[in-house]
Amino acid sequence: MSANNARVSNTVESAEWDLVITRVFDAPREQVFRAWTDTRHMAQWWGPKGFTNPVCELDVRVGGAIRIHMRAPNGVVYPMSGVFEEITEPERLVFVSSALDENGNSMFDVLNTVTFAEQRGKTTLTLQARVIKATAQAPQYLKGMEAGWSQSLDRLGDLLDGIVGRH
Amino acid sequence: MTDRLSETFGALADPTRRAILARLAAGEASVTELAAPFEMSMPAISKHLKVLERAGLIARGREAQWRPCRLQAGPLQDVAGWVEHYRQFWEQSFDRLDDYLRELKKQDLKNKKEKRHVRKQRKG
Repeated sequence: MSANNARVSNTVESAEWDLVITRVFDAPREQVFRAWTDTRHMAQWWGPKGFTNPVCELDVRVGGAIRIHMRAPNGVVYPMSGVFEEITEPERLVFVSSALDENGNSMFDVLNTVTFAEQRGKTTLTLQARVIKATAQAPQYLKGMEAGWSQSLDRLGDLLDGIVGRH
Repeated sequence: MTDRLSETFGALADPTRRAILARLAAGEASVTELAAPFEMSMPAISKHLKVLERAGLIARGREAQWRPCRLQAGPLQDVAGWVEHYRQFWEQSFDRLDDYLRELKKQDLKNKKEKRHVRKQRKG
């Protein structure tokens, strides 16, 4: 088997096309759930490092719309839309998210399932994402975003150096 | 028109097709060999193979008799790359959510302390 095949074999067996991420947060699940369903909270954390959300609208009910404009540190705006499919407070949230191109057409649709489990005041959050639709532009789109946040990390590093340097 | 990447994701959404790909990752195989682990008719397996072939995930040999199936790496690598980028997006967001929740906790403690302070002052 060639090295190339070995890599593909790993990809096949670990089912990497279904994204699953688990994180433990030091907060009760009511609060973590609220961070996902209250725009004032969500606008503070949604998106990569250094991004802001000048538009963040959530119509939290089944069939309700999500509209978020993420703004990268370099000024590029990434609009996305979505729809809530299921809301079970405070344990489960299912929504479709779509990244939009400059004409407002979806480049990829993802079905996101978020579960919140609490244990001794900490919340284990599991995100499962399954791609429903993806165009050829989709990887480019995410790559562009990555470039944006790598830049912001560099800048943050500079800023910290500056602060430390002054003291 | 369906996009190539969409077609790939669609083909991967089925557990039987994923199992077929996992088998092919170990080397090429005939349709009969691929069908063996599944309790499925040959036409059913052929249907799955057609979906995989259309998505560019497998190629079939031209040998008339057993036409071996081979895994095609390209589309799978595109998918793995896409998933990796998307994972980065969420890891970064979750770092921020973590920071934000800590900040809320700090604020909450501070507010409680202030309230206690005010109550004490009123009593005194």
